[in-house]
Amino acid sequence: MATMQAVRTGSAAGARRRRVSKRHQRRAILVFLGPFLTLFAVFYLVPIVYSVYQSLLKVERVGAFGAPREIFGGLAQYQQVFASEDFWASISRVLLFFCVSIPVQLGLALVFALLLDSAVPKWRRFFRLTFFAPYAVPGVIAALTWGFLYVPSLSPFPAVAENANLLGSGLVMFSIANVVNWVYTGYNMLIIYSALQAIPGELTEAARVDGAGQFRIAWSIKIPLVVPALILTGVFSIIGTLQLFNEPTVFRLFSNAVASNYTPNMIVYATSNIPNYHLAAAYSVVLALATCVLSFLFLKITQRRAFG
Amino acid sequence: MALYRIGRKLLATGAITSIALLTACSGGDTQETTAPAACAPAASGEKVTLTFSSWVPGMQKTVDLWNKQNPDIQVQYKEVVAGQRGTYQTYANQIKAGNAGDLGMVEFDSMPSFRLQDGLANIGACPGVQEGVKAFVPWTVSQVGFGEAGALYGVPQDIGPLALYYRKDLFEQNGIAVPKTWDEFYTAAKQVKAKGATITNFPPDASSYLAALAWQNGAKWFDNKNGTWTVSMTDDKTEQVAEYWQRMIDEKLVDSVPALTDTQFKALDTSREWSVVGAAWTAKLLENGSPATSGKWAVAPLPQWQAGQQASGNWGGSTTVVFKNSKHPAEAAKFALWAFGNLDALALNNANGGQFPATTAGESELPALNEPYPYFGGQVIWKTFQEAAPQVNQSWQWGPTMTQTFADLSDGLSAAVNGKGTVLDALTEAQKKTITTMKSQALQVAE
Repeated sequence: MATMQAVRTGSAAGARRRRVSKRHQRRAILVFLGPFLTLFAVFYLVPIVYSVYQSLLKVERVGAFGAPREIFGGLAQYQQVFASEDFWASISRVLLFFCVSIPVQLGLALVFALLLDSAVPKWRRFFRLTFFAPYAVPGVIAALTWGFLYVPSLSPFPAVAENANLLGSGLVMFSIANVVNWVYTGYNMLIIYSALQAIPGELTEAARVDGAGQFRIAWSIKIPLVVPALILTGVFSIIGTLQLFNEPTVFRLFSNAVASNYTPNMIVYATSNIPNYHLAAAYSVVLALATCVLSFLFLKITQRRAFG
Repeated sequence: MALYRIGRKLLATGAITSIALLTACSGGDTQETTAPAACAPAASGEKVTLTFSSWVPGMQKTVDLWNKQNPDIQVQYKEVVAGQRGTYQTYANQIKAGNAGDLGMVEFDSMPSFRLQDGLANIGACPGVQEGVKAFVPWTVSQVGFGEAGALYGVPQDIGPLALYYRKDLFEQNGIAVPKTWDEFYTAAKQVKAKGATITNFPPDASSYLAALAWQNGAKWFDNKNGTWTVSMTDDKTEQVAEYWQRMIDEKLVDSVPALTDTQFKALDTSREWSVVGAAWTAKLLENGSPATSGKWAVAPLPQWQAGQQASGNWGGSTTVVFKNSKHPAEAAKFALWAFGNLDALALNNANGGQFPATTAGESELPALNEPYPYFGGQVIWKTFQEAAPQVNQSWQWGPTMTQTFADLSDGLSAAVNGKGTVLDALTEAQKKTITTMKSQALQVAE
């Protein structure tokens, strides 16, 4: 409030200072939003529109090394996207990854959050920070660190790494999921934890008076009340999983079970490396739409269940 | 928290935005290919400044020498990351945006891709070029000219003719003859295995390695005639190579770890791997990667498919190209010919960057290439590579989408060494995907 006041008085100079009309208010809003809207348009909207435009073009040329000529191609690129087995295989791979990784991740996040919420207050701050710390490690570094633990000849636990073949085609998905969970569990825990903090004290107190133990309170009161937060983290996880890129890309250094088309984003990257910008743009657009649709479906289904 | 979320969301669209942004400045490319344009030097007295990017260590020193000797043609050098690690993507975006600079390093196998983007200048008509390229090993000239008369799209920098690095001490102690043919190599592999080691590594990540081995056998993966491409990654010659290495994999006679990385060097340094089929540039890597075995190595000519044959393949090597939008192609060509043809420059490139020259004179006359090499027991190993250089098959051509071809091939090879499919399957699948990619680039492909 104080800042609003300050700016309002600052922007309207002189005698008109006190006559804050609607027009001035609108101008103030524009002044505030201006920088954001400009950046949003330049770095968000324009690129999206441009990549949709790029995805509608195709290249035409004559001869073995004919110069490329860009012409309108309609949905030609999208035809290729939908015909690409690799792309759909990578989508189903990340969906499987989602099933492997996210229940564990969110389950752990919930357990940690509940523990924090009920633990002795003295340790709360310490554990909150400790659980969250991995999120501060850049994804690439995390993947490298775990990768070195997995490679038999480099691992400090060679017996485990050699016998389990953590980088073979059978287990590599779990190995990557482990890295992702390590990084993001703390992040999701914080979201759930803040939802737990918002639960009115009277509710838990009433339950306690009625004779409910900690476990009962968690199960019957706290968890149902943080379902919206769980759904939120679920949506983030869908988005994050579909866009998986860093971890599997780093794992290509260690494992020959991770192909260059392992995830949809890796396909986009490889395609733009060819360079085939038009097809890469089409992949991106389809991937973005698929992410939207899946997140929306997830919201619809879980909301009906949670609130219906 | 909100910031983190936005960050994550922005990352999400990163794939879209980066592609879009980088290309945002370009209009539609409507240029048609033209015959080699005339290439006139700048008016005398005019000062010319060129830009040059490469990832050869210490190339700055070569450029400094040129700048000292040529006050009128100054070169601004920029060291960049290796091509496949990002520089090629930068070039591609710069070409699309029309500001690619003057000179850039491009590996042989990636040249067609940049030509396809209409990014390279044909310097064949520039003064002194036709005479200048006579100094280079013939097959390299036909690579940079794409076999077209009078055309030149770059100047060869360095080459990677193949030879066999082997552990002289272990081969001798165990009475294993140095293999002269691939059949003998197979026999030797079995003998080495009996001693509890492996003879060499078959790196699934290095598609260009398999290409080099096929190249030796006279394979020709790509060709273009009358504007139509043919892809023959599964021809008889390649099939022979593929089946040979498949047998080595099946009988567990080779390792299959990424090429020349820590994992392989550890195997070499602990005498678990007894030989390396490598290029000229591999010598330095061996010396650094496997220091404990110093003095125990030697170099022999690459094993042959038929006794008495003399054929080699080429692994790696690069060129310097002049980009199409360069305003001074004549000066750029002059610099490139000097930097990779002049003996002083080549000596610097070799000393700082470990480059094996692409000129015949450079190979035989550089003092450093005539000295005994202590790591290899005092052998003058470069002699072997000098002999191999002209034995590389001249007719080999690279395809126009090698980034994709190599990626798909290495995916398939990784599956093959994991027991899912074979080396030949990998080639078949890579060929199929290459044809799809070429068609999506509007190229004519014969099937």
